[in-house]
Amino acid sequence: MAERTIIPSEMAAAVTLDGVCKVYERDGREIVILNGIDLSVPTGEFVALMGPSGSGKTTLLNFIAGIDRPTSGSVVVGGTDVTALSEGELAKWRSRTVGFIFQFYYLIPILTAAENVELPLMLAPLAKKERQDRALTALKIVGLADRARHYPRQLSGGQEQRVAIARAIVTDPRVIVADEPTGDLDAKSADEVLTLMQALNQEFGKTIVMVTHDPRAANRAHTQKHLEKGVFLNG
Amino acid sequence: MRGSWVRTSSTAFAIAVCIFLFCTLQTFVASLTGFLKQGTTRLITTHNVSRAFRLPNAYEPQIAALFGVKRVAAANWFGGMRDLSNPRDVFTNFAIEADFLPMYPEYLLPDNEKRTFLRDQRGCIIGPALAERFHWKVGDSVQLESSVSAYRTAKPLDFIISGIYQTDQRRYPGTNDALLFFHYKYLDEATGRRVGVATYRVEISDPGQAGRISQAIDNLFENSDTQTHTETEAQYRASLGILGGNLILLLNGIALTVMFTILLVTGNTMSMAVRERRMEIAVLKTLGFRSGIVMSLILGEGGILGGAGALMGLLLGRFLIDLLPKIPVIGDLVRGFPRMNVPPAIAVAGVGIGVLLGVTAGLIPALLAYRAKITELVRQV
Repeated sequence: MAERTIIPSEMAAAVTLDGVCKVYERDGREIVILNGIDLSVPTGEFVALMGPSGSGKTTLLNFIAGIDRPTSGSVVVGGTDVTALSEGELAKWRSRTVGFIFQFYYLIPILTAAENVELPLMLAPLAKKERQDRALTALKIVGLADRARHYPRQLSGGQEQRVAIARAIVTDPRVIVADEPTGDLDAKSADEVLTLMQALNQEFGKTIVMVTHDPRAANRAHTQKHLEKGVFLNG
Repeated sequence: MRGSWVRTSSTAFAIAVCIFLFCTLQTFVASLTGFLKQGTTRLITTHNVSRAFRLPNAYEPQIAALFGVKRVAAANWFGGMRDLSNPRDVFTNFAIEADFLPMYPEYLLPDNEKRTFLRDQRGCIIGPALAERFHWKVGDSVQLESSVSAYRTAKPLDFIISGIYQTDQRRYPGTNDALLFFHYKYLDEATGRRVGVATYRVEISDPGQAGRISQAIDNLFENSDTQTHTETEAQYRASLGILGGNLILLLNGIALTVMFTILLVTGNTMSMAVRERRMEIAVLKTLGFRSGIVMSLILGEGGILGGAGALMGLLLGRFLIDLLPKIPVIGDLVRGFPRMNVPPAIAVAGVGIGVLLGVTAGLIPALLAYRAKITELVRQV
């Protein structure tokens, strides 16, 4: 794996973005999504990225998660410059370093809750029993151990999102990224999910970068960053 | 695959139908090919004008005297039925001379039954399929009346079953196991010695001399009132009208066309399935599953679907081949043919083709899934 050597000054930061730009070409025109973004997220920080639609916050989140690449600039997450990795190396890096929470949970419908949570562990050299034990532990953390054998269709929206969170943390990732995790939930479920995420941050020391439109969700974070037209408003 | 049982089952069933057709057609082709390849040391002499006309009995010693001829035997298709008013009763039966049996080793008859048959002018030997169909056994009596007017007598001919021959489809593929043979002499005497000979079966010592000997036989009677036409048995069988080489080409063409059609249908179905599962593919890739693994999962799914469909098709074929003779009208058509069993090689090929169909059908959706970016997949959901 072509990992960049860890630089001591970056060890305090779980995520460092330096001069990151994203430009698309449409019908012969250049569309700038992100324009020279610099961001530093210390380890153990809970950061909320806010901004109007089209501001580039999801794009930024995708860079941190390693599922998209910037046009220019560097993205260092967990001490690794992900822009220097090949696709195969990036996939392997994601499985070990990042936990992703989608807005619409995206649980596999034909798998039970436990099987969904176990999915990331299929890439690790673990015995079946150990995978199952870890999955159950993750479900216990999110308070859904008793629903392990239930299918997504048998769960409420809030419960599905909590299973998705369990899936995101089961590999003990360094960074958790969440794209509008409460966007599809009612107020009560949203509150439960945010409380859980706060607990992951405060009790387990997880670094969390969350994209949200919801000010109540953003208030749960340590820091709020506002993006507009591809740049941070507050520097 | 577990996501939509209806789609998975119907796709597997489509592949099952394809493999069933493939196995059935190829079994028929193999049976035909084996049938056509038999009798390399046998020639058949018939009336030059039409096979409906008969040859004089006096030709036999002249043919037997030719250099290279080992033995000659008369064989007339009798067209006998137990009940002329029942068209479903049809099966193939021949009046043969004694020398017929030694030149047809594919009809395996125990020595004691052969002796019994040769001793009894009213004796007959039957194939195992006939024994099963009519519940006949050695010692039973059978009455047959010919559908050919020249062979009709005042009353049906009486026969006693002397033996039941067996067939070895591995050694002699395509051997008909539903025939009845009785003595030509019995028919000749019962009809007042006026039946003549429909075909002379001529066994030769050297297959390489088939052309020369055929010509020599025909030359013998070139200037007589009744001229002959002699050809190898393979040519004779092929010229029966339904056994031309074009038929094999046609059957193979049908099998290929069916496979290609099923490939397109299955490919379309798998493309739809993969499109519907964009989210799952996006999640797998996000979690760290490499594109190659995602592609392998889709191809593997196709292979399993194809293999399961193929096994279903083989079972369907096995069931239908056994059932066909019992179906009205269709059963009447197939009863005259040798019994078909799907050879192991064709069964294995069928399963292999099923797997290949499934994998090939999944190739394009798998490639698209391989190349798809996570951000594009998530955007499309």
